[in-house]
Amino acid sequence: MTSKIINMAERIRDEDDRLLETMFAASPIADDGFSALVVRRIRRKVMLRRLSLPLAALIGGAIAFKPLVALAGFAQQLFLQLPDELVASATESLPALQFVVTGGLLLLVAVMALNMIED
Amino acid sequence: MTWGEDKQLVARALASPDTAAFGELVRRHQSHVRNFLRKLAGDYTLADDLAQECFMHAWDKLHTYSGKGTFIGWLLKVAYTTFLQSKRKSRRYAEILEQVGHVSVAEERMSTPASEDIGDLDRFLAVLNEEERAIMVMSYALGMSHREISESLGMPAGTVKSVIHRAKQRIRTSFDIKDHQHG
Repeated sequence: MTSKIINMAERIRDEDDRLLETMFAASPIADDGFSALVVRRIRRKVMLRRLSLPLAALIGGAIAFKPLVALAGFAQQLFLQLPDELVASATESLPALQFVVTGGLLLLVAVMALNMIED
Repeated sequence: MTWGEDKQLVARALASPDTAAFGELVRRHQSHVRNFLRKLAGDYTLADDLAQECFMHAWDKLHTYSGKGTFIGWLLKVAYTTFLQSKRKSRRYAEILEQVGHVSVAEERMSTPASEDIGDLDRFLAVLNEEERAIMVMSYALGMSHREISESLGMPAGTVKSVIHRAKQRIRTSFDIKDHQHG
């Protein structure tokens, strides 16, 4: 009820209101490629956002690859220096740590690339 | 152009995310948003740049649209915030320029258009502050109800009413608006 009264009161416009309405009246603005431009900008933004994570991972991976391999080699040397009795004979059948790290990185990149293709 | 259709388009735009659905929303509402910003900024080129920024912000914040009010109401709130942010930024920029001694550049940027370029409506709007201007444009140019404006700007309907009353008083005391009816 109260809202109906408010709406009625809003509709009662005085002469000034009518003049202001005439003065403020604006004709519709033609699109003229405006929406297409906005959509293009948004698509570019979406694409950049999607690319940024895999790209950062790829660059980070490339930068970290050499030190990681060196670290893996160092860890392997340390491992070999451990007393024989601590190292079980079964470890000989395990792949070298270098290959594990490299394989892991490649797997990570492959997963990210797949995600990107899916998108 | 219905509220329900807007809500469906928002849902579609959010789901995929679907830029085509959002493009349809832009196409539907660009005229209102650009008209609103042109009257607020008083500069068509700046207003259209701001309108683009507004839609970019709207895309980023689309998930915050609750669907309670109209989409255009929500969009105009984003447009108003974009306008205020840009105004603050250009004011800060002018201050920095003044500090480093580029007074002429600062003055050029802050200058108002030549008096012959100013229409009656611009003269009316010039006596109002930003909030009054936004509310008057929403009410008289876009035909929004007090309730819609209050929902859009997040202020009580009573405040909207009193701002409109105050703005009208200010226009009345500054001009004889009857003289401008054909302007």
